[in-house]
Amino acid sequence: MQITKFGLLFNSVAFLLFLPAVVILYYLLPHRYRWILLLGASYFFYGSWKVEFLSLILLSTVVDYSIARLLDSWRGQRARRALVGLSLIVNLGVLFVFKYLQLFLPDVDPMIVNIYTVDFPWKGFLKQAIYFSIPVGISFYTFQTLSYTLDVYHRRVQPEKHLGKFALFVSFFPQLVAGPIERFGRLMPQLNTKQLFDYDNFQTAFRLMLYGFFLKMCIADNLAPLVDQVYDHPDWYSSFTVLFGTMGFGFQIYADFAGYSLIAQGAALMLGIKLMDNFKTPYFSTSIGEFWKRWHISLSTWFRDYLYIPLGGSKQAAWRWAIAIMIVFVVSGFWHGANYTFLIWGAIHGGLYLIERMLKPLSVKVPQTARKVLGAILIFILVQLAWVYFRADSVQHAESVLSSLIRSKGTSTLQIPYHVAIVFVVFTLMEIAQYNVRVDAFLGRFKTPIRWILYAAILWCIAVWSGLTNHPFIYFQF
Amino acid sequence: MPVQQHIVFRAGVRLVSLIVLGIVFNAVYKNFLWMDDLDKHGPMLYNLKQVQDTSDIIYFGESSNFTTAETDQSTAAISEIVDDAIPERVGTINHGAYHAGMYLPLIKQIDPTSVKKVIVTMNLRTFSQDVIYNPDEASLQQAARFYQPAPPLTNRLFAALKHYDSKDGHERDREKWHAWTYDTLKGNETHKFEPNTIRRWCEVDKFIDSNGTVDMHKRILADQYIKAYGWQLDSSNPMVNSFDDIVEVCNEKKLDLYFLILPENTEDARAYVGDNLVWLINQNVNWLVNRYGNNATLINCIHDLPAEAYIDRDKIPQEHYYDFGRRKIASKIIGELTGN
Repeated sequence: MQITKFGLLFNSVAFLLFLPAVVILYYLLPHRYRWILLLGASYFFYGSWKVEFLSLILLSTVVDYSIARLLDSWRGQRARRALVGLSLIVNLGVLFVFKYLQLFLPDVDPMIVNIYTVDFPWKGFLKQAIYFSIPVGISFYTFQTLSYTLDVYHRRVQPEKHLGKFALFVSFFPQLVAGPIERFGRLMPQLNTKQLFDYDNFQTAFRLMLYGFFLKMCIADNLAPLVDQVYDHPDWYSSFTVLFGTMGFGFQIYADFAGYSLIAQGAALMLGIKLMDNFKTPYFSTSIGEFWKRWHISLSTWFRDYLYIPLGGSKQAAWRWAIAIMIVFVVSGFWHGANYTFLIWGAIHGGLYLIERMLKPLSVKVPQTARKVLGAILIFILVQLAWVYFRADSVQHAESVLSSLIRSKGTSTLQIPYHVAIVFVVFTLMEIAQYNVRVDAFLGRFKTPIRWILYAAILWCIAVWSGLTNHPFIYFQF
Repeated sequence: MPVQQHIVFRAGVRLVSLIVLGIVFNAVYKNFLWMDDLDKHGPMLYNLKQVQDTSDIIYFGESSNFTTAETDQSTAAISEIVDDAIPERVGTINHGAYHAGMYLPLIKQIDPTSVKKVIVTMNLRTFSQDVIYNPDEASLQQAARFYQPAPPLTNRLFAALKHYDSKDGHERDREKWHAWTYDTLKGNETHKFEPNTIRRWCEVDKFIDSNGTVDMHKRILADQYIKAYGWQLDSSNPMVNSFDDIVEVCNEKKLDLYFLILPENTEDARAYVGDNLVWLINQNVNWLVNRYGNNATLINCIHDLPAEAYIDRDKIPQEHYYDFGRRKIASKIIGELTGN
C-alpha cells in the first residue's frame, strides 16, 4: 500500500481498507475509548502525507485549546481580546508562512535553486523548503480551530476541557484535509455522543460515497486531462474548444470538490457523525447570492459568520456594506492560495454580487419561470468565465485563455472519448434529478430493483469508465 | 426475525449481489472493452498476447532495439536481425523508456508452453537516479498496473484508484535532486571522488578556455554523462530488485533467461568526464556480472561499440545505435543462443 508518501487519498485502495477497519473497531470498542481510536486514526491519516505535518496540527490544537480555556476563566475584556489576538497570530501566522510567504520570495524554480541561481541564496532555499512542505488542508483545519476560539470568545460555546477530544475535533479524518469546515457546536456534541450502529446510516453513507466516487473518478478525472490540454496551450485551439475547456474546468472542480465532500460525509456517517452539506447543485443557481448559498457552503457560512458580520453585515451604510462585501469575497479568494489570480476571482464574484444587488430594484417584470431559467443561464456563464482566473497559473495565463476564448487562434481539436460523453450525460441527468434534494434521498425514492439498477449503472461507470490520469483532489492544495 | 439477524441478512444479500455484479461486470468488460483499454493503456500486454503463441524466444527491449538513423542502410531492429539468423522464432516486446520494472509483470504473463527463452535488455542508465526518479515514470507504472496477472476489471479499477507508484513529477524530481545531492560516491586508492556527489560533480567548472569562455555544448554533455553513470550499484537499487524478481519468475516458469548488457558510449564518457566515470561504469557492470552470472546467461556488450556507433552522441548519452552497431549486438546474441 502506498500510504507513506502520498497520503490516504479517498479514491485509493488504501483508504478503502482503512475506513472499514476503523469503522469495525469503532463499533467494537466501548464508547469511552472511541475517541482514542478516532484520534489515532486521524493522526495516522494526516501523517500518511508527511509525519512532519502533524507538528503543525498539534501546535494549532494546543494553542487553541489553551487559549479557549483561558478565555473561559479570564473576565477582563482586554485580556480576552489579547488572547484572541494571540490565536489569530499563531494560526494565521502558520498559514502565512506555509501558504503566502512564497509570494514575497524570488521567482525561481524551486527544483533547481542553488547558490548560483538567486541573489540571496537563503531566500531561494527557503522557497524550496516551503514549496516541498505545504501541509495539505492547512487552510481547512486552521479555520476550524479559529472558529472554535472565536465562538468561545463570544461565549457561543463552552470550551472543551478534554485535550484529547479537542484534538479529535481539530483532526477528525473524514473532513480534515478538505472540509466541510465544521463548527465546534455541531461536531463536538456528536463526537461525544455514544453512536449506535444504524443500518440506515450505512445505507445513506453508501449512497453518498457511491455518488462521490462517481463525481471524482468519472467526471473530474475524465475532464482533467482535456482541461489541462486546453489550459496548457490555449492558443492552439479554436474559441469553441477553449470554451469547452473553460466549462470543462467548471464541471471538473465541482465534481472534484463535491465528490470529495460527499465521500467525507459518507465516511463520517458510517461513524454516526453527520457533517454539513457543502454543495447543493450550485450550477442551477439563479443569482450570485444563491450560488454562494449552494457552493462550498461551509466556507461561505464561515466567512459570513466570522468576517462579514463582524465587518458590520448588512446593517450599515450602503458604501460600507459594499466595502465589506468586497473584503469578504477578496479574502475568500485569497484563502485559496498565494496567487493574484485567486484575488481577482474573488473580486469578480464580489463585483457581480454588488451589481446584482444594485440592479435588483430595477428588475423588469418577467414571468418567474423565464426569469429563473434566464438567470440560471446567465449565472452559469459568468461563473464559468470567472473560473478562468481560478484555474490559470498566472494573470497573464488567464488573459491568454480569455483572449483565445474571444478570438480563435488555432485549429487543434480535442479527442473526447465516447465513455466521457456517456458519463457526462449520466452526471447531467443525476444533477437535474437532485435539484433541491440530496443524492441519497433521490436514490431512496426508488423501489429496490430500480435502485439497484441505478447502483449497478454507477458502479459500472466507476469500474470501467473512470479517468486514469493522476489528478489529486484540487482542494487538497488549499 | 430479530433485528440484528435481519440486518446481517440484508447486508449479506447486498454483499453477495455486489460480488455477482463484479463477476458479471468483469466478464462483460473482458469480452468487449478490455482489448481497447490494453491497446491504449497497456499496449505491450496486447502485443505479448499477439506474439507469444508463435514465438520460441521473447526479446524484451526499449528504444535501443528499434531506433534507427536516416543514414542506416537497414532499419532492422536487433531482435529482427536475431530472428532472421536463427531457426527459432523471436517475438519482440519493445517500448521506449521501458525498464526491468516494466518487463517483470509482462514476463509473469508469459505462457511457458510456447515460449522457451527470454532475452531481457539491461540498460545501465536505467539503474541511475535520472531514470529511477524520472518525472514520467507514473504513466509507465500505470501501464504496469494493466500488466498484472489479475482479473482485467480489477486492474482497470486499481489503475483508476492509482494503485501503483503514482507519485507526481514534482515529487520524483525532488527525490532525484535529493539523491543527486546526498548519494555519495566511494572511490579507492587510484580513483578518488572529490566532489563525491552528482550535484557537486556537475557544479564543477568544465571546458573553460584561457579567455574564461565556457564551451557550453561540451559542458552540458559532460554533466549528462555524470548524471547517467555517476552512481554505484547495490542491492537496494529498485531496478536490481526487479531483475532479481525476473530471475525468480523465469526459474519458476523454467524459461532460459538471457540478460543483454547494452553497449554504453564509454569512449565519450572518458573524453568528456574522465577515467573516474568509466571506472564507475566498469564497477557497476562487474557488480551485475557477479550478481546474475550464475542465474542467467549474461551477454555483456558494454564496451563493444566505438563512439561512432551512437546516434545521439552529440546530444545525450543514449543507447541508440547505427545499423552496424545493432548488427554487432545481434551477432553477439546469436552467438550466445546458438553456442557459436
